[in-house]
Amino acid sequence: MNRILVIDDDEIIQNVLEKVLTKEGHHVEIAKNGKEGLQKLDLMPYEIVITDLMMPYANGFEIISKLKQHPNTEKASIIVISSITQEDSVMDSFKLGVDEYIRKPMMVGELLLRVNKLLANRSKYA
Amino acid sequence: MPDILPVNETGEGFTIPYFDQWMAMPVIIRVAVVFIGISTIFILYIQFRIWFTRYKGYLLNKRVEKVVPVIDALIAEEIFMKSETGQKGAPHINFDAFRIPLFANHKNKQILIDRLINYRRSFSGSIGNHFKQLYLELGLDKLSTKKMNRRSWNMKVRGIRELTGMDVSISDVNILPLTNSKRHELRTEARNAYIKLSKNEPFKFFDISSEPLLDWDQIELFKTITTTENIAIPNFARWVTYSNNKSIISFCLKLIVHYNQQDAAPAVIKLLETKDHILRAEAINCLGKLKYEPAEAQLRHIYSNQPLNCQLEILKAIGRMSTGESAQFLRQEFMYSTDFDIRKNAAMSFVRNASPEYIDELMEASNDENKLILKHSMNPLIKY
Amino acid sequence: MHSILQWIAAFYESTVFVYGSVLLVIYALLALLSYMAIRVFLQKETYTDYSDLLSSDLAPGISVLAPAYNEGLSIIMNVQSLLTLNYPVFEIILVNDGSTDNSMEQLIKEFELVRVDFAYNPKIRTKPINNIYRSTNTAFSKLTVIDKVNGKSKADAVNAGINVASFDYFVCTDVDCILDKDALLKLIKPVMDEQSKRVIATGATLRIANSCVIDKGVIIQMKPPRNLIARFQEMEYVRAFILGKMGWSFINCVPNVSGGLGLFDKEIAIKAGGYDPLSFGEDMELMVRMCRYACDNQIKYAIRYIPTTLCWTEGPANIKVLKAQRTRWARGLAQLMYAHFKMCFNPRYGRMGMITFPYNFFFELLAPLIELSGILYYIFLIVTGGVNYQYAILLLLFVYSYSIMITTIAILWDQIAFRHYKSWKEVLFLCSTALFEFVLYHPLVVIFSLRGYYYFLTGKKHSWGNMQRQGFAQVKQ
Repeated sequence: MNRILVIDDDEIIQNVLEKVLTKEGHHVEIAKNGKEGLQKLDLMPYEIVITDLMMPYANGFEIISKLKQHPNTEKASIIVISSITQEDSVMDSFKLGVDEYIRKPMMVGELLLRVNKLLANRSKYA
Repeated sequence: MPDILPVNETGEGFTIPYFDQWMAMPVIIRVAVVFIGISTIFILYIQFRIWFTRYKGYLLNKRVEKVVPVIDALIAEEIFMKSETGQKGAPHINFDAFRIPLFANHKNKQILIDRLINYRRSFSGSIGNHFKQLYLELGLDKLSTKKMNRRSWNMKVRGIRELTGMDVSISDVNILPLTNSKRHELRTEARNAYIKLSKNEPFKFFDISSEPLLDWDQIELFKTITTTENIAIPNFARWVTYSNNKSIISFCLKLIVHYNQQDAAPAVIKLLETKDHILRAEAINCLGKLKYEPAEAQLRHIYSNQPLNCQLEILKAIGRMSTGESAQFLRQEFMYSTDFDIRKNAAMSFVRNASPEYIDELMEASNDENKLILKHSMNPLIKY
Repeated sequence: MHSILQWIAAFYESTVFVYGSVLLVIYALLALLSYMAIRVFLQKETYTDYSDLLSSDLAPGISVLAPAYNEGLSIIMNVQSLLTLNYPVFEIILVNDGSTDNSMEQLIKEFELVRVDFAYNPKIRTKPINNIYRSTNTAFSKLTVIDKVNGKSKADAVNAGINVASFDYFVCTDVDCILDKDALLKLIKPVMDEQSKRVIATGATLRIANSCVIDKGVIIQMKPPRNLIARFQEMEYVRAFILGKMGWSFINCVPNVSGGLGLFDKEIAIKAGGYDPLSFGEDMELMVRMCRYACDNQIKYAIRYIPTTLCWTEGPANIKVLKAQRTRWARGLAQLMYAHFKMCFNPRYGRMGMITFPYNFFFELLAPLIELSGILYYIFLIVTGGVNYQYAILLLLFVYSYSIMITTIAILWDQIAFRHYKSWKEVLFLCSTALFEFVLYHPLVVIFSLRGYYYFLTGKKHSWGNMQRQGFAQVKQ
């Protein structure tokens, strides 16, 4: 069972990702904002973190950089879901070590495929 | 706030009866008394209105709180759980699950529409399509169409927004008259919808529109054009060449960059001859972002006759192209210009165009301020 | 001799009468105009999708300038909070104005800052810059910190920020203000939505944060201040922004974009010369100069206000701090009117010269003086026995009820538009404050204003308008 942390302040995304990823057989933790996201890091190690870029309390970039330092997530794959298309944000995300950048509106199928791909890669090189 | 008005009318005091007293008051005082009454009543009325407004809002909130979870649960159950399991093929969605008494209510229907649009905004692809189907199956489009037929332009805009938000096509008969509305907001929205939904010639308005496209309209239009699936993207050079509308030309330049239309570049180069220096600067910017190298020599050539904003754009554009051909030119500008911004932009572009040895050499030859500018340009921590 | 005195008295009385009546009419007009402005705004809001801008490549960049002086208590949290603003392209420029506390050390440590060789170009003259810092962590790539020599004014600090700003628009705020996360999106919208005019500044409603529920720089819930002095200010702010500024905005006559939060056109601000470090009301002073510059250069300009509350600030909670603040404001106003008096009734300056300036001169600057003279005259009449108490009380009641009515209308507009606060009772609580304004708060403000004018005339020294803050860090619940 893979553990996935979803950090997004959009209620719709929270609900849908929780349902869909759980159905795929993953353990899903939901955080409603940056603060909660950082708190949930201490709960358990995660294989994948899915995060938004703009949220109250802490912005996505800050969260990503903290993820990379936290023992529970330093090896986790990170997926950004954001409606921002500006080059700067995309570049900054990848510089910080994000694995995938998915733009909103997103295709759920695509997200699931990318999650599976990242998980497969992990097990290959683990 | 009104001050303490030390107005003082001298008058004799009357004792009995009230009417005589009233009549004996100066007009001003009588007016004041009437106003005291009016104000007091008005204050009470406002208090009631505040209460009423809040109460109405409270009821709506309660309704939303009751209805939205039901919608979310239904959508999760019927759309996300049933369809997105990774396998292909059209899954069967049970729309009847949504035909419950709760949504017979008009207000609840509106909440459903709003929620569906929200979902649609977050999800595209096949899931996005399911939302559209649901919207149509439940006949919610009829509600939006009704709004479009209402008299107030405000309502019409909302109706159009809902329909386009769900990607439902509006017949040309309905939308075309609105695209010429006197109301700016309505006209913009109608044109937006037309671009999104028209099968024939979505960009027709670029040809005929004579009034300026506001920045905000451009944002909405840009979003519509770049996110609509199955839209035939034309070569925007057409309008750059032929349009008389500056804002349309400027907008097309941005689209050319977005779609990286290299074959539009010759038309953009022609635009360098325009008298409007703002538009010219935008054309230069566009060439830079296209990294259209054949224009580099010409940009250098026209440089000395340009106003400051165009010169800065030329320096930036050359930096973006980073062919290395203009290193000497940039060095020249950097060394000898008196304008700080020119030197800074020249330096920024120079470091992208020159070899490390060349940069070192320039660093040696520079005075303190120029050294600082060069260091600034080379520092990876500084973005702009 | 006696008849001359009588004539003077009669003249004074009728002048004051006309003055008062005009003021009442202006307030009634403002109530009407603001209603129309808010209606237009709300209509647009129903179909404006800010996420279109958020996801757009065409969004104009915005530089957010936050000057700070000895804000060590909360500076880290405030910067973090600024970094969470919703906007696709922006930068935060924090100007540390020679703080004597450990602000700078905290910033360097928390945001992994290093000194950079920044090519600083002082387009506006300021006190020297010590260093400019950027973060080595990409997560904070939007942040630039300027460490400068203390310039004894917020204006000097902001000017340094303007010199470093890279985008065409800048938002000026106080580091201790709490901003709504959509503030940038909403402030830039009026700029992009204008047909023929150049919008040189936009502002939004400010509110008092004192009793709001705040969690780490995020407003969880708005509440009217429990402290009476702060509550008076909340009421005053609702009236000034929702009714005043919105009304003026409708006819493009906004006098001032508040220093707490405002978006400005950088080019015009620089050409107008930036903030004046010697001014006590630097925000309004800059606005006047920007308008002046626009008029002198035939730029058709507009200043817009939106009724949405986008900024919360800590209001003075005791009389001492309030006194300092209001004295400062009054002094700034006097200074401004004195410096730019040529604009008054000068048709060359359009609405600014013909409406905004005269209004501010007669009904803002002169008001406390006229009130003072009125009170003195009243005392004179009482002594000489010339008062008809019955009429005097009626007139007083009239003004009293009228002022409460205007305040209540402002609160209603706010409620119609936003339904702020948790319950009706809280709104009523705020409304009830209006009952005491006349006797408790208004006299204080008048006295402080007169004190400000006195300092203006005698020229007392200038210092950072820094008030003693309780700090939001402790307010959180």
